[in-house]
Amino acid sequence: MSLQIFKTIKDFISGMDYVHREKAASITLWEEKELENIFTILLMGSFSGIPAPPAFIAAELFPLLTSELKIFNERAENSFDTLAEMTGILSID
Amino acid sequence: MKTVFFTGKGGVGKSTLSATLAWQLAEKGFRVLAVSIDPAHNLGDIYGKKLSFKKKKFSEHLYLQEINLEKAADEYVKANMNLMREIYGYLQSFNMDKYFSILKYSPGIEEYAALTALEKILTSERENFDYIVFDTPPTGLTLHIFALPGITLSWLERLIKIRQEILKKRYTIHNIRGKYEAKGVPLVYDEKDDNVIKKLYELQERYSLVLSLLQGKNNAVSVVFNPDYLSLKESQRLLTGLSDLGLPVQGAFNNKMTEKSGEIAEMVEETLKKDHSSLTIQRVPYRADSMQEGYKLPCDITLPFL
Repeated sequence: MSLQIFKTIKDFISGMDYVHREKAASITLWEEKELENIFTILLMGSFSGIPAPPAFIAAELFPLLTSELKIFNERAENSFDTLAEMTGILSID
Repeated sequence: MKTVFFTGKGGVGKSTLSATLAWQLAEKGFRVLAVSIDPAHNLGDIYGKKLSFKKKKFSEHLYLQEINLEKAADEYVKANMNLMREIYGYLQSFNMDKYFSILKYSPGIEEYAALTALEKILTSERENFDYIVFDTPPTGLTLHIFALPGITLSWLERLIKIRQEILKKRYTIHNIRGKYEAKGVPLVYDEKDDNVIKKLYELQERYSLVLSLLQGKNNAVSVVFNPDYLSLKESQRLLTGLSDLGLPVQGAFNNKMTEKSGEIAEMVEETLKKDHSSLTIQRVPYRADSMQEGYKLPCDITLPFL
């Protein structure tokens, strides 16, 4: 009986730990995604009309960013409601 | 190795003085490379030689070279177009590649092409020569070329900071979740594995070297002007621009002096010295027969650079 209670408490604590870690990971993930977006948008600034670094920096980096640019493109296509996503992550009702 | 850049308004005699200095230094026994980055390319005309990017021996100690900015910009755009086509094959089907063909007329391309060529010469030839003398394009373009390493470095610094932050966050996520991937693609979190940050560091190192060479004590930027009002105004702007960029001005030449230019020459020199008191100005007389062996001016102009 006491073993069962101990196991339940242990599961509860590890569950709490998992939830907190996941929440922290989600927030960091969201920040990381946004930084990636900023990085890419800055590099392609001359295409979108914002202050941009000299074009050759982008040209030097683009070949190394192929897979990240694909991800960026997919994210842009799927980002219907970024505000809802953000409020969800931050648990704002 | 020392470098000397002759700058000034179009037509003041930068090419003639570059050719003269290179010749005189070579005659004193120094190993000299004279390079023209001026699209007008008078340097080759002065020496009576057809020049190209491949350096050509002129005398025992003097070599000549010419950077064709238009060709360099063309090559740069071509390389970029091929790169873009490889990565984004669909561009061709939308005729987007036509857009890239006009890139060579985009702002900054010519400056970048010049800077890349400069960087190549400064890093590859510094062991082979005692002096590299550059004949530059007129003021505006030259100032843009000189400003580019600083601007590039400031952008690189920002991009490196963002990239470091991205990698730090990826590392945190990796630590919490045990792995980190997006759309099935594993994303690197260690600087050692990230080719993007490695490339950024490489670019930072390259442009820091160029900037330190340009701002260092072994570089001299020399201002050439004529005894006239327009030349004075442009030289004032040039000197201010050079000082803003932290580039060392060494030697100024009041070129094409005639007997009649005494009074205006005095005025031009005094005005320039008012704002730049340390400026040493040397007068160079006008030579009517300068078409023949134009690099053999009768006065020694090497003193500020020895």
